[in-house]
Amino acid sequence: MGFKSVDKKRKTQVPESESDDELAGGFFDGVLSQSEDDSDFVADDDDDDDNDDQDDSASEGSQDDEDDEEDDDDALLSDDIPSDLDGEEALGKLLITDDEPEIEVPGVDPKRQDVGDEEKNYRIEKDANGGERYVYDEIEPGYDTDDTDAQGPANTIGDIPLDFYDSYPHIGYDINGKKIMRPASGDALQNLLDSIEVPKGWTGLTDINTGNPLNLTDEELELVRRVQMGLIPNELHDPYPDTVEYFTSIEEKMPLSSAPEPKRRFLPSKNEAKQVMKLVRAIREGRIMPYKPPEEREREAEEEDEVHFDLWQNEEPQDANPMHIPAPKLPPPGYDMSYNPPEEYLPTKEEREEWEKLDPEEREKEYLPQKYGALRKVPAWSEMVKERFERCMDLYLAPRIRKNRLNIDPNSLLPKLPSPSELKPFPTVCQTIFRGHEGRVRSVSIDPSGTALATGGDDGTVRVWELLTGRQVWSVKLSSDEAVNTVRWRPSKDSFILAAAAGEDIFLMVPSHATVTPSLDQVSRDILAAGFGYATHGQQQPVAVGKEPAAKWARPGTKLEDEGVLIRITVRSTVKVIHWHRRGDHFATVSPSGQRSSVAIHTLSKHMTQIPFRKLSGLAQTAAFHPLRPLFFVATQRTIRCYDLQKLELVKVVQPGAKWISSFDIHPSGDNLIVSSYDKRLLWHDLDLSNRPYKTMRFHSEAIRMVRFHRGGLPLFADASDDGTLQIFHGKVPNDQLENPTIVPVKMLKGHKVVNKLGVLDIDWHPREPWCVSAGADGTAQLWM
Amino acid sequence: MEQHTAVAEHGAQVKVTFTTTEEDIQLPEGKRQLLVPADIRRYGLSRILNSESMLDTASIPFDFLVNGSFLHTSLEDYLKANGLSIESSITLQYVRSLIPPVYEASFEHDDWVSAVDVLSATSAAGRWSGDSFQRGQDRILSASYDGLLRIWSASGHVIATSPSGSHGGHTASIRAAKFLSSTQIASAGMDRTVRVWKYSEHSSAGGDHVSGDLKPTLELYGHAGSIDSLEVDGQSKRMLTASADGAVGFWTTSKTTAPEPDATLLPGAHTSKRRKVSSSVTTAQRGPLAMMNIHSAPASAAVFDPRDRTVAYSVSQDHTVRTIDLTTNVVVSTLTTSHPLLSLCALARSSSSAPLLAAGTSARHVTLVDPRSSATTTSVMTLRGHTNKVVGLAPSPDNEYSLVSASHDGTCRVWDLRSVRPATKDEGLGSVSEPVYVIDRESRQGSKKKATAAGDGCKVFSVAWDKLGIFSAGEDKKIQINRGKDVAV
Repeated sequence: MGFKSVDKKRKTQVPESESDDELAGGFFDGVLSQSEDDSDFVADDDDDDDNDDQDDSASEGSQDDEDDEEDDDDALLSDDIPSDLDGEEALGKLLITDDEPEIEVPGVDPKRQDVGDEEKNYRIEKDANGGERYVYDEIEPGYDTDDTDAQGPANTIGDIPLDFYDSYPHIGYDINGKKIMRPASGDALQNLLDSIEVPKGWTGLTDINTGNPLNLTDEELELVRRVQMGLIPNELHDPYPDTVEYFTSIEEKMPLSSAPEPKRRFLPSKNEAKQVMKLVRAIREGRIMPYKPPEEREREAEEEDEVHFDLWQNEEPQDANPMHIPAPKLPPPGYDMSYNPPEEYLPTKEEREEWEKLDPEEREKEYLPQKYGALRKVPAWSEMVKERFERCMDLYLAPRIRKNRLNIDPNSLLPKLPSPSELKPFPTVCQTIFRGHEGRVRSVSIDPSGTALATGGDDGTVRVWELLTGRQVWSVKLSSDEAVNTVRWRPSKDSFILAAAAGEDIFLMVPSHATVTPSLDQVSRDILAAGFGYATHGQQQPVAVGKEPAAKWARPGTKLEDEGVLIRITVRSTVKVIHWHRRGDHFATVSPSGQRSSVAIHTLSKHMTQIPFRKLSGLAQTAAFHPLRPLFFVATQRTIRCYDLQKLELVKVVQPGAKWISSFDIHPSGDNLIVSSYDKRLLWHDLDLSNRPYKTMRFHSEAIRMVRFHRGGLPLFADASDDGTLQIFHGKVPNDQLENPTIVPVKMLKGHKVVNKLGVLDIDWHPREPWCVSAGADGTAQLWM
Repeated sequence: MEQHTAVAEHGAQVKVTFTTTEEDIQLPEGKRQLLVPADIRRYGLSRILNSESMLDTASIPFDFLVNGSFLHTSLEDYLKANGLSIESSITLQYVRSLIPPVYEASFEHDDWVSAVDVLSATSAAGRWSGDSFQRGQDRILSASYDGLLRIWSASGHVIATSPSGSHGGHTASIRAAKFLSSTQIASAGMDRTVRVWKYSEHSSAGGDHVSGDLKPTLELYGHAGSIDSLEVDGQSKRMLTASADGAVGFWTTSKTTAPEPDATLLPGAHTSKRRKVSSSVTTAQRGPLAMMNIHSAPASAAVFDPRDRTVAYSVSQDHTVRTIDLTTNVVVSTLTTSHPLLSLCALARSSSSAPLLAAGTSARHVTLVDPRSSATTTSVMTLRGHTNKVVGLAPSPDNEYSLVSASHDGTCRVWDLRSVRPATKDEGLGSVSEPVYVIDRESRQGSKKKATAAGDGCKVFSVAWDKLGIFSAGEDKKIQINRGKDVAV
């Protein structure tokens, strides 16, 4: 709108400038030619005056049109107009000259001559009185003056009816007071003619102002017609003008300033920035979400709700399939496969020829070692594909078997046993060595009081020693050619009787030890001698009349009797084992080679020998009395038989499963049996439980010769082996029948030397203390404590 | 630079505080704290103490006890070993050194020597004999397994030998022998008898060569087993024996007061075919004042209380230590240990009326027991180090905290009871001491074979400690004399 209003204003100025423009040439001419000829100029003006008047009225509309057309130009020009002031001044001058003739036109125009000093806007004329009269130039009515209605010689009669002048030849007066003459009216004929040939614009009406017939001009007719037609009266008015495009694609010669405001003129608004930041913050904080259609939002929410698990996040490398059997590895390459093998690996010419001669199938190696100066000279391996193929065929065709291995911690298989240190006391070191025997010591025995040790050896002697110091206190040579196989003290504190077996003879003796009191000595002698009276006075062996007696009891002769050896019992074969009954009246002897009479039971008080078994199912190895009950155990090579001595019947057969029993011992409580065997095994039997061993121990590398329980209340037993060691075991038999005995090996005692594959031959325990004595094939006995 | 390092070397100093329990060598109060170089050893400390500014004594060798154990290394090493800082102050208890015993001599015998005793001015027998003991008349008594007693002069000559069994002597090995006085000797052995001998000396040929005579005065019968130990009291003329029959015998040496013996125990009591040992000499036969069958296993030793002669202590293989009241011959208290006990000696204590009993065990250690403590308490201290049975013990003649032990492993060991450490887990409860010195058998030194734990051929059976030295008798048929070099008398 602003623009339009500006345009309107400019439009009002347009006629001036227009006239400027039109008159410019004349104006300049006039200025240039002013001094030369003014009159000419005036005359010209006169002529023009009439034309102008008419032109003005007639060309009013067209001038408007032009104005309209040049509106745009004006708008542009208006900016560039140099200055209004100059223009007006020029105009002023121009107008003065312009309007002069118009004033002169109706009247007299003497004043025209006087137009000499044109600088003044007045002329000095002489009035009727002769006085000076200032005649001012007619003011040229400008566009602004409101005389647009003035038409030609305007009737000045005012607003009175024209018929007042009907009686006059004139019809009024013009502005100068001159009569305006009534136009001549035609005669009737003329009127008729006129009516026949109607002139253009004929209305048949008379203009009351002029009295002339009122004719309408073409324009007026057109106007009337348009009014009648209901059209817009102004035909120039286009109701549908072409759209004026402000931003036209047509490139203008001069760019218009319709460009948008340049950014440099932009002033950022702080308030807006605040608002925007508020929004930005809200978006960042998520309070404002970009718009999404609700369905999409729902879908997204659903997707968010779905929890996805990483199945493999904790995955560890797994072993191959259990059925997978890895291919066996090829042997690593040797020196001969090197590209630069040592000289000795390189084949000689003959070898090469020989190899080439052989059929490829028969060749030992599929290649010949070759030498190359450098690795880069080694050619590609021609047999590669073939070799790979064969390897694949091997793997494919050769069956492979999986070996199943048990992954068991070996320690977990070991039984839970108490630590040996908790099972003290038990013998740990050798404390005394008893030297003196020549050849092996075959047997050892500690006397019931625990002070004297008796040993018997290959040299045929029986020796008695002071236990702690190792001092030999007594010795007797029983035989010059036979070894003393066994020595055993009579198990009674009230006597001091030792039994020893050398060859087929069993000797009973009272060592004349200085510490033996005369009374003890006498008691012992009496015990031994008692049987002689029985033999002489009693009814000895009435059955023996026709038979050879099982044994012969006799005195060994004065030489031995002086030493204290009082009785010799001769049996049929070599006695290897003596076992005393706990009361000391009986003792059993075993001679393994003795066939039928291998086991004999001797009664001391009667000097009587009995052979309890007519027949044995094997070679008797050893025999023992039960420590508490009247039972008698006999071991053959494979089995141990238990007999009831009162009922004279077989009670039990124990089968340890050993190939050759060497020795056995019965636990002092009477229900357990430990068996040693020459096949290196130690077998614990629970007699109540089974005939089979409860536990088998195999810790020795050589045959076990002897096993003995401690008799003084300590839960110990020991075995003696040909590997020169003793092994001490903790063997606790619980009082509760339901519990199993605890057997723990606690100590291996090394000290004896192995002579001719014989190590330790016999052991015995101290009656009270955890001390044991061993007899070694190296000629020593040793005390361990 | 050099100066600096020198300063640094000498700069390492340790603050020590000297203390002692011995009255005569107390330091004045102000001198007890001292800064000493860190690398100083026992010898240096000993010299510091002997110096004029300190004790001003003529070189007394000192030993230093730190926290219950002897200082064997330098102070610096000790601090390092115990993780102490060099700034820490150490309390050193200084004691008179036990002189390392040096081998002096060996007296050869024909057979194993089972017992040894000394007669000197300072020995018990010398004190008992009083005026009759002549100065310089130092005699050594040895008992042998061949049944003979021998009396040696200090220079190693046999002055007297007891008669053989057929002439009134022991008929079997002698296990124990003691001087009763300078003129009286008692011996006991495997022939179950205790014999009292009269010993007389007469110098011939200008007094240079001394010869002696041993005459049996008394035969005492009463034991039914080998007598393994004999203890005498010369003042009250009483004797204590311990025998393998488990009995402890209480005897008098007086012929008149001794009762008649049990006839069954006398030799020849039974007319048997036994070889008769006929003696050409007849001596008086007597019995014991009391025969106490108090042990269930062989009794191995019995001793008098060092203060009160009416109290005796006996040990046995039945693990017990028994206190006997000799006036009533009744066992007053019994202490049970965990091992068979083989030897015993009583250490007088100045701090208490009852002695401390040291008992040698078959389990290779010496256990110290307080006889007053109840039966439930175990030993006060254990002396560990032997590798075989401990069969002989003798207290130090000088003090009440050291003793010497003899063992079947062929060594004598000298112990100082002031040096103790807590027992390890394996050793059980109580505190443990380790030997200060180990005396090996000189006869073993030359042999290539190293002595084994079994003590094969070099067992020590008996030991006596006098100011003359440590006398030990053993299986090598020798009495060995060891003596500290500079023993200040």
